[in-house]
Amino acid sequence: MLTLTGTSFSCCDGISRRNFLQIGSPVLGLGLADVLRGRAIAEATTTAKGSGKSLIVFWTHGGMSQQDTYDMKPEAPAEYRGMYQPIATSANGITVSERFARQAKVMHHISQVRSVHHENGIHAPSAHWMATGRFGPTLARNAAQHPSFGSVISRSLGARNSHMPPYVAIPKAEAFGYQGAVYLGKAYNPFEVGADPNSKDFKVANLSMPKGLELKSVENRRKLLRKFDTLRRDVDNSGVLEGLDAFKTQALEMVTGDAVRTAFDLSSEDDKLRDRYGRHQYGQSALLARRLVEAGSTCVTINTGYWDHHNDIEPGLETHLPPLDAAIAALVEDLHERGMLNDVMIYCAGEFGRTPLMNGHAGRDHWSNCFTVMLAGGGIKGGQIVGASEKWGGGVKERLTVPLDIYATIFQQLGIPLETHYEDASGRPVSIVGEGSPIRELL
Amino acid sequence: MFDPLRLLLIAPSLAVILSAGVSASVANGAPESSTESSPSFLVDVVPILTRYGCNGGGCHGKATGQNGFRLSLLGFEPDFDHVALLREGRGRRVFPGSPDSSLLLSKAAGQVPHGGGTRIQIGSEDYRVLRDWIQAGAPGPRPEEPTLVRVSVSPDRQIVEPNSTLQLKVVAHFSDGRSRDVTDRALFETNLPELAEVNETGELTTNTRGGLFAAMVRFGGTVGVFLGTVPFRGTTIDVQSAVIPETTNTAVRDAASSVNRLLVDQWNRLGVEPSAPADDFEFIRRATIDICGTLPTAEEVTLFSNDKGADKRVRLLDGLLERPSHASWFALKWAAILQNRGRGYSTGKQREGTALFTAWIRDSIAENKPYDRFVTEILTATGSQERVPPAIWYRSVRTTKDYVESIAQSFLGVRIQCAQCHRHPAERWTQADYYSLAAVFARVGRKGGFSDAEVPTSEVLYLKDRGEVTHPRTGEVMTPRPLGGPDFQLSKYDDPRRALAKWMTEKDNPFFARTMVNRMWGHFLQRGIIHPIDDSRSTNPPSNPELLDTLARDFAESGYDVRHLIRVITNSQAYGLNSAPNESNREDLQSYSRFYPRRLPAEVLLDGISQVLAVPTVFPGGPGTFPVGTRAIDLPDENVTSTFLDVFGRPARTTACECERSDEPALAQALELVNSSEIQRKLAHDDGYVARLGGNEESHSNNTVDIFLRVFARKPSSAETETAVDFLKSETDRGEAYRSLVWSLLATNEFMFNH
Repeated sequence: MLTLTGTSFSCCDGISRRNFLQIGSPVLGLGLADVLRGRAIAEATTTAKGSGKSLIVFWTHGGMSQQDTYDMKPEAPAEYRGMYQPIATSANGITVSERFARQAKVMHHISQVRSVHHENGIHAPSAHWMATGRFGPTLARNAAQHPSFGSVISRSLGARNSHMPPYVAIPKAEAFGYQGAVYLGKAYNPFEVGADPNSKDFKVANLSMPKGLELKSVENRRKLLRKFDTLRRDVDNSGVLEGLDAFKTQALEMVTGDAVRTAFDLSSEDDKLRDRYGRHQYGQSALLARRLVEAGSTCVTINTGYWDHHNDIEPGLETHLPPLDAAIAALVEDLHERGMLNDVMIYCAGEFGRTPLMNGHAGRDHWSNCFTVMLAGGGIKGGQIVGASEKWGGGVKERLTVPLDIYATIFQQLGIPLETHYEDASGRPVSIVGEGSPIRELL
Repeated sequence: MFDPLRLLLIAPSLAVILSAGVSASVANGAPESSTESSPSFLVDVVPILTRYGCNGGGCHGKATGQNGFRLSLLGFEPDFDHVALLREGRGRRVFPGSPDSSLLLSKAAGQVPHGGGTRIQIGSEDYRVLRDWIQAGAPGPRPEEPTLVRVSVSPDRQIVEPNSTLQLKVVAHFSDGRSRDVTDRALFETNLPELAEVNETGELTTNTRGGLFAAMVRFGGTVGVFLGTVPFRGTTIDVQSAVIPETTNTAVRDAASSVNRLLVDQWNRLGVEPSAPADDFEFIRRATIDICGTLPTAEEVTLFSNDKGADKRVRLLDGLLERPSHASWFALKWAAILQNRGRGYSTGKQREGTALFTAWIRDSIAENKPYDRFVTEILTATGSQERVPPAIWYRSVRTTKDYVESIAQSFLGVRIQCAQCHRHPAERWTQADYYSLAAVFARVGRKGGFSDAEVPTSEVLYLKDRGEVTHPRTGEVMTPRPLGGPDFQLSKYDDPRRALAKWMTEKDNPFFARTMVNRMWGHFLQRGIIHPIDDSRSTNPPSNPELLDTLARDFAESGYDVRHLIRVITNSQAYGLNSAPNESNREDLQSYSRFYPRRLPAEVLLDGISQVLAVPTVFPGGPGTFPVGTRAIDLPDENVTSTFLDVFGRPARTTACECERSDEPALAQALELVNSSEIQRKLAHDDGYVARLGGNEESHSNNTVDIFLRVFARKPSSAETETAVDFLKSETDRGEAYRSLVWSLLATNEFMFNH
């Protein structure tokens, strides 16, 4: 049973009568939000709200094997067990894969939810399910139908510093196209870094000037624009014009100013620290993510992968696990040392896990019946195991957890009211957490 | 000052409603139930559950209920609710032996922990009603009990002065002819709280702003509406006079004159003065963009401004309608509404089909195919998608949900999505309406086609011998029936889609012509008379009902002549106004007393930049290739990679809603302007316009005039020329100086908006 006190469960409490009416009934036409839409968008993406916390995501595109990483089954027959041995961790009684040796040392900060479940086994629909919390597209008609959790965060909280994009994807948004905003509006799509932060000539395309364009010219253009951009503001009282002005100012500031470019500049980090994160895409992406949330971004998603190991899973994992382990562990350590761990949540998940039973090609196939996600920091309890899989993996043994439960947990920690609803294209209010409720064991 | 004359102008039915309210047989609030002693479940209990939000979509009314307790949304299914209250929850929800210990009361009153908090005060009238009902054995809906038919609100429309209050009265009408005052049981909400708010007792309070608003009243499962007009100024302004357009086309002149009269009537009623007329420069830019999706060239602007003919605007509009770009631009619009989608199917074999469908739409517009025929050909398409282009509509529209929602939204202007799972909370539509419309398509058969995914292309559509749709709740097999119409009487040889198309395109159809004229009015005037354009319902009233009716009647009578409709709209007074507000209409968003600016759509903006810079966009093939010079408005579908088009709001074509085309500002757009390599390439192109400026012998001031005509379709002011010339002189690199100057103009709102 859910508890009925405190903040762990909320229905309509805390909502003003007006909000309550909107939730209880379809919105009648359009209110102030529509009238000043554009301005609201510009403000929403540039002003801070919520608890002041932010989120860093490691997205294991393609589906990471839970059984070779967090949820080991050492007692199972060899064809289930896989090739790795479990090792002890800093959290009492918790073991993880030997390939997660560095996370093992900080496992008292890290929690696992081992009973995540949804009901699709195909990449695209599953990716949508995990990225948005909801089933929607099918293989054949794969257009996104709901906003990603990152876009919900972006729209609800904005950035903590007006120069920074609130929601960033490193290096790019995941290929299925489900990390976007859909009906929340284009302003809440992720800002794509567009390059591997570990590459020698790492540069953010959107912040670097095209070939042949000098900074001086951009300065000239900015000055001229200010003089010529004289269309009376009061011709448009929808706020769109005002919003666009705010974004123009922000874009010019991002390109010509120092604040944002500094945030993206990894060279100012100590070499030793960079080594600790690992000189690979995952490690440097994690370090960049930390710099971005420090500078004011609210959600940074690191897209790793491709983890779709149907064949020869061992060599596949050998290339992915060590860098992922280094990146997550170094991030936890670094945030802890900086006293930021309580303010930055870390989340690692993908569209599903992988079959407990190895297939005939020494690989594992898609498995959404029961898999594991990792959460750390942001004020949640570390060293916890929530839920359990069956003896050899397979199904959920204890505490079935649906994707929206995870997002309810994250939203709540970030200070987004769980009763928030956003209208879809037909004007129907859609709850950001639907049937999900926060995982109280982690709070 | 309250002006009773004005009230009479807009409220002819007020007196009738007032008298109906007064004649309510039991107006004192006494229980209207068959057993005098106990409250009725239908009349008393369910409305209380609705009023306190218990059965709202955020709480127990949602599909899975809340914490194990589920009620029907907003009390639409009282039988279901009665079972939920009495038989579920181990009988603890309702306990006649000790009413106060019933969870229904103890939770609602906060006596035991309740996620929804305390909602009803112990001892309140509503608490007492619930308690009495429980004590009486919690009787359910009785078969002989009169049912709630509708609620009326009085007054139902009125002018309400700024900063004043008005008490609404709500009367419920029952099937036995009786009625009852239910003001204290109803739920109130206004659509524009910045204009007016309404409190729990039904008292409206207006703000200082002027405008039109609606207040929705909900009681039990029904809704009623009050329409309010808040004048912009307390004093009457001089009566404006309607203009008669300078056209020899008498049909257009008569219709546009009627439109103008209705616009002027409303301006007078609202106390707004329209803005000044747009000048020639503004008008040619606006009309070329709206009709052809294209910017006027510098030469066109100069010719038009030098034209001394009194009918020059009429001639301009007629000429624009004949251009190929008019067909391209409107084909782009319709291809989005008709979801002619290339992406999102896990298959790359869509291009032939999407190109064929787009070409068919373009041809239909180029030949000005009557709108009823256009829609009928799509709806009733039969045969191979390789030979019958409109049948390609059935590629994207292929499920029960698609059929109903696309038809309703595209052609009937109704968003019926809600009724898939429950009665529409703000309209009369029920699940039966939804699935009866779906039944029209139950016999649509598909065969053949090749497929590399679940959605095949090149199917053949045919009429199956059988096929049915059942009501998801009752399991009843539905008879094909149009929205709000009678069942179709059909034999197995009749294609129900034909019957639907025939019903739709009858001159007196309440939806069809209205939806199209509203869509087109929205296209040219930025905002539909019903807004959003495809969301017609009693609770979202038109801002000028007479105007909508007049346009719809004229359109139907013209034989659904779309160009005639466009001529009427573009020759109207509203379309010819300046966008700059005056003192009285600054806050007007609903009466078209000035031209409301809107952003250039993504494709128009991209083509406009290409045209100004004289460097075409190179579109990557996607599947297929495009010749150099292909414009964005000519692309066959949305599956052509273009970051620019995506960030500036190109629709994904996944729904029939034009709202998919977004005009929202975003950071990515600003970054695209500031440092996209595409714009920089066009600025710096050796054969481009800016290179010519950099290399020519013209004076800076002459060049500046030409630049302004190209970019803004107007001449520069002397101050602007001075700013430009000063800058150009101060720079040593002439080429880079012109690049910077032209860039700065392309990034202005004046360029990026249609105003």
